[in-house]
Amino acid sequence: MAAADRGVKHRAPRRLRRGALTPYLFLVPGLLLFAAFRLYPLLDGLRLSFTNARLGRPQYAWVGLANYQRLLDDTRFHASLWNTAFYTVASTLPILAIPLVLAVALNRGVALKTFLRSAFFFPFTLSVVTVGLTWLWLLDPVVGPFNYYLRTLGLPTRSWLADPYTAMWAIILTTVWWVTGYYLVIYLAGLQDIPGELYEAAALDGASGWRSFWSITLPLLRPVLLFVFVTHIIGSFQIFGQVFVLTQGGPGDATRTVVQHLYETAFQNFFHFGSASAMAWVLFGVIVVFSLLQFRLLRGHTEY
Amino acid sequence: MRRAALTALMVVLAILWLTPALWVLVTSLKRTPDIIRLPPEWIPWPATLQHYGEVLLSSSRTARIGRAFLNSTIVSLGTVVIVVFASAMTAYPLARMRFPGRDVIFALVVGSLMIPNAVILVPQYVLTQRLGWLSTYQGLIVPEAAMTFGFGVFLLRQFFLSLPRELEDAARIDGANAWDIFLRILLPLSQPALGALGIFAFRSAWNDFLWPLIAVNKPDMFPLPVALALLRGAYSSESYGPIMAGATLSALPLLVVFLVANRRIIEGVRLGGVKG
Amino acid sequence: MNGTRVTRRRFLAGAAAVGAVGLPGVARRAVAQPKATISYWNGLTGADGKVMDELIEQFTRETGIRIEQQRIPWADLYAKLQVSVPAGEGPDLALIHTIEVPHFANDGVLEPIDESTVSGKGFRADEYLPSTWQGGIYQGKRYSLPLDVPQHILYMNVKLMRAAGLVAADGSPKVPASRDELLVMAKQIAKGDTYGFAIGTVNPGKYTWGFQNLLWQNGANVYTPDLKRSALAEPAAVEVAEFFGAIHAQHKVAPPANASCRDAFIAGKLGMWIAGSWNFTGLRDAKVDFAVAPVPRLFKQPVVWSMPHQYTFPKPKALEAAKRDAAWAHIRWMSDHVAEWTLRAGQVSARRKAHSDPRITADPVLKTLLAQAPNWQGGQPTPKWVAAENLTRPVIETIYIGQKPARAAMEDLARQINALPE
Repeated sequence: MAAADRGVKHRAPRRLRRGALTPYLFLVPGLLLFAAFRLYPLLDGLRLSFTNARLGRPQYAWVGLANYQRLLDDTRFHASLWNTAFYTVASTLPILAIPLVLAVALNRGVALKTFLRSAFFFPFTLSVVTVGLTWLWLLDPVVGPFNYYLRTLGLPTRSWLADPYTAMWAIILTTVWWVTGYYLVIYLAGLQDIPGELYEAAALDGASGWRSFWSITLPLLRPVLLFVFVTHIIGSFQIFGQVFVLTQGGPGDATRTVVQHLYETAFQNFFHFGSASAMAWVLFGVIVVFSLLQFRLLRGHTEY
Repeated sequence: MRRAALTALMVVLAILWLTPALWVLVTSLKRTPDIIRLPPEWIPWPATLQHYGEVLLSSSRTARIGRAFLNSTIVSLGTVVIVVFASAMTAYPLARMRFPGRDVIFALVVGSLMIPNAVILVPQYVLTQRLGWLSTYQGLIVPEAAMTFGFGVFLLRQFFLSLPRELEDAARIDGANAWDIFLRILLPLSQPALGALGIFAFRSAWNDFLWPLIAVNKPDMFPLPVALALLRGAYSSESYGPIMAGATLSALPLLVVFLVANRRIIEGVRLGGVKG
Repeated sequence: MNGTRVTRRRFLAGAAAVGAVGLPGVARRAVAQPKATISYWNGLTGADGKVMDELIEQFTRETGIRIEQQRIPWADLYAKLQVSVPAGEGPDLALIHTIEVPHFANDGVLEPIDESTVSGKGFRADEYLPSTWQGGIYQGKRYSLPLDVPQHILYMNVKLMRAAGLVAADGSPKVPASRDELLVMAKQIAKGDTYGFAIGTVNPGKYTWGFQNLLWQNGANVYTPDLKRSALAEPAAVEVAEFFGAIHAQHKVAPPANASCRDAFIAGKLGMWIAGSWNFTGLRDAKVDFAVAPVPRLFKQPVVWSMPHQYTFPKPKALEAAKRDAAWAHIRWMSDHVAEWTLRAGQVSARRKAHSDPRITADPVLKTLLAQAPNWQGGQPTPKWVAAENLTRPVIETIYIGQKPARAAMEDLARQINALPE
């Protein structure tokens, strides 16, 4: 909006002025959408976090920092921050590495490449609810096939989703199944951009497959790896669908992530909009801090 | 020899990878008492279509999947239309024109990609309620479009920048105005990117779960993911047949799109990921 | 307006009388007046849901009133009601539980029902079980009318108990008379992936209704009698929590916290099962060989958890008389046909007349359910009950899986409940 004002104040001659408005005319629909449904809610959320707004009650009052103060004592909120951090960190290696391994294998020269790529990509076309329901059923502790086959193989079984030590890993497994195909395709694209001569030259020099992977593939894949890493991290902070369908935050609070807790506070159990908004802004703050840290740390490494 | 062994290994892995989806399909075709039978049966015999009938035709079941299908389709297509046009119209001046505030606007839009949807959730709900848009199509389409808008602008601007300017310059010399150039030259040349964005937006809207969960209170306006999630119900063998049937049905459209437009989708993923 | 109402009321009363005498033709013509379509939400996701479907179809056939039924799991139903009614999008009719009345009434979600309307539609207090009739009243105003009394009962898998030798002289399964006896019997049944005892339909780790049943058996409750503070840290409650934590984590006779006890029971992997009465018709359909008994006395009193269903009118944006009358017609019709509901869905009716129906007294399960009436207990009438229950779920789950010791967890829970804002 400020930009548009600046344009008009320019006092360009009539002929040019019409042209000067053109960019802004193009921008209006998108920016209107953006301002109304991205910027405004962002700032309104900040405002709400300073009130005791509640769903279904039209009156609410300013309470200053009370919601944030309550978060300092809210052990379940702390648990949710911890769980989200745990999930993010624990899921990073599998989600980054597994598609990479598959992509390298596919790139190496296998037949049926299209079939293989499609098979791995297929789960990504499903909604998170479908994925969650699939694994909920697979992992059923009494009548699910997963435990049944483990038992017949003589391996120990657990109620994976009801055991606080394994529940989060079960959610990670579900997510790996879901998104591997997507990152696989991205890695494949990156791998294909690496000229084959480099590998040939390395082979002539006597380098083993492992060596050339380490010295050629990984460095040249860095931008792709970075993209996958950043995308994954930002997504992990916001994980909700899998938790909602598989465990609803349980057992106890073992898998309660920030967004799950926010959803429950605002729309399921307590309808406290003010409190939920405070939670959301704390999450936002964490993400911003993390992103800044990340840019600072990784800035030097993309040029080589 | 090595190639054959690796291929075989990968094929086995791929089949294992597909097993969960296969289990869903198989369960959806089993009669209810057979669903919880152990050892697990991988071939539904006798097979039945009763669960499909129930989710599609039953008058009072928790989720009218047929109706949810329609809702998801309308919302997803609406989102695609708005996102593609709004993003393109915003990306064009950002890529091709010079004007005060251009960099600020671009920074704002790209910066917004960092905003987690959870932060917007509650105030967006309040706004939607005030507009009277709860449980309406526009109440789903417009916020969904806003969610994908930032990415769309980013993607399209990148793409526009990569296009050679000669055609546009020639057209300008011939007296075409910005709108003509946009509509008749730029957009047709951008089909790959527009297609990729469209598919991305469609998938995003089709699968979105959290926003419709809270923004829709009329059960016959639920889109598919919400309808499916609420089918979860008491989570017992009674519901699993319909749940799996609903899940299979919900996967079909994207599966078809995927099989038909396989290349285009992969290209879109590449465009979004690698070039970005 | 007044005149019309009186006429229509007498009309409906007369029609009901005629219908009761058994002249379907006249009744159909008379009651068919309001041909509205109403929306109706309930959470009957169990086997009783199918019976409700059938009865609704019969109602539509007889009266011409169409009902758009929407079934959402209870927890989601309550959240949706809370959210949709202020937005003016609630249903015309909703089925909720007695325990929901205080907090929904408090939040202005439900419309008060005039007592004169109630008697005008032919509902009389003496026809109903007192606790169900009173349950619809909060702070002196009525908000709902009762339908039935879902309650707990003990199911026993005959085959498993016979195999473990746990049968009485006549070959019927033995019923445990105490906590200790229950554990002994359960241990004899439990082996591998077969379990001896469970409370709850699904997710036994979070089954607050079962936990409440045990609390009440021990004379404990969520709140103190004055409803001001939580009583969950008191010794009686902690004792219950310790038992709840012992059956799975320690004695390993109960299934995992997220198992489906219902599936396990049907699959023959669960011996003794305390669960809702709404399950038994489904068990019959699945041809499970089971026997029932009253909920055993595991603590001080043989209390049976019960939670009547109540019909209620969510506040509409603008009242439509035709829809309201149609909703009343449905409630009236269901009350008149409640014996059918009891027989087919297995839920004891709130209306006493049906209790003497010979078909009902002849059914062993229904007879047992009816006999439990003196021991019924329900939740405390505070608007914070549901919020307290939401807080309780994850906490009892940590106790169930042995992650947290009972005393510490209950003290923490009491603290959280006391911190609930008004």
